[in-house]
Amino acid sequence: MALPEDPEDLAPGTAAERTRLAWERTAIAFGAVGLAMLRGEPVAGLLVLVVTPLIWALGRYVSSTAPPQARSRRLLLVTVAVTGVAALAVVAAFIGHGLTRFR
Amino acid sequence: MGARGHQASWGGATTSHRGHDDGKPAAPGPAADPGTGEQAEDEPDVRFTLANERTFLAWNRTALALVVAGLGIVQLLPPFPGVPWGRHVLGVPLIVLGAAVSVTAYREWRRNQTALRRSEPMPQSVLPRILVLTITGVAALSAVVLLVSAVR
Repeated sequence: MALPEDPEDLAPGTAAERTRLAWERTAIAFGAVGLAMLRGEPVAGLLVLVVTPLIWALGRYVSSTAPPQARSRRLLLVTVAVTGVAALAVVAAFIGHGLTRFR
Repeated sequence: MGARGHQASWGGATTSHRGHDDGKPAAPGPAADPGTGEQAEDEPDVRFTLANERTFLAWNRTALALVVAGLGIVQLLPPFPGVPWGRHVLGVPLIVLGAAVSVTAYREWRRNQTALRRSEPMPQSVLPRILVLTITGVAALSAVVLLVSAVR
């Protein structure tokens, strides 16, 4: 059997699988950030940890037939979550109760 | 004909998804409307959509890494002797850069998706440049903070 020009043609489902794995890596990254924040800022850390399963769930719904608007909203949610984490981090940096305070 | 490769559904993708390899990567859509200047838009091959989505997700993981690096500098490093603001000067820009990378990644994802729909060439990303400039800046700033700390 001749190989197709694009190896992907052997198993067209792998693109969707790679994308689901990318979502899972992103969810794991959220979890890691939440755990890292938990030590210095328990409230902020818990907030980030709450977002983690949401990101994971968004990734479970990767569907090749999802309408473009749904796809766009889902990615916007990720950006909102990351921006929110950054905002929490700035607040924690300035008024945090971390182990080492601003002196 | 330029958009032929982008129109494939998931099922038809095995034979017609190579829109960029058919020698007409920059051709406009087949039914560009001369009246409005709007180009015909078709949902691209789902593989292109998924690849665009993975790129977006990868940038967001980079953004998270920047945020956590900035927070780590502020909260975990011991203060620089003689430079009480040193940790904040280094950490806060990294956190802000993280937010900026995430927002820019979303905007570029939308732009890329539009380009795919219109069978236009992919626009260039500004994110690598933003990343290089900021990391270089923070590295230079680190050197300054360390020198000031050593002098005092």
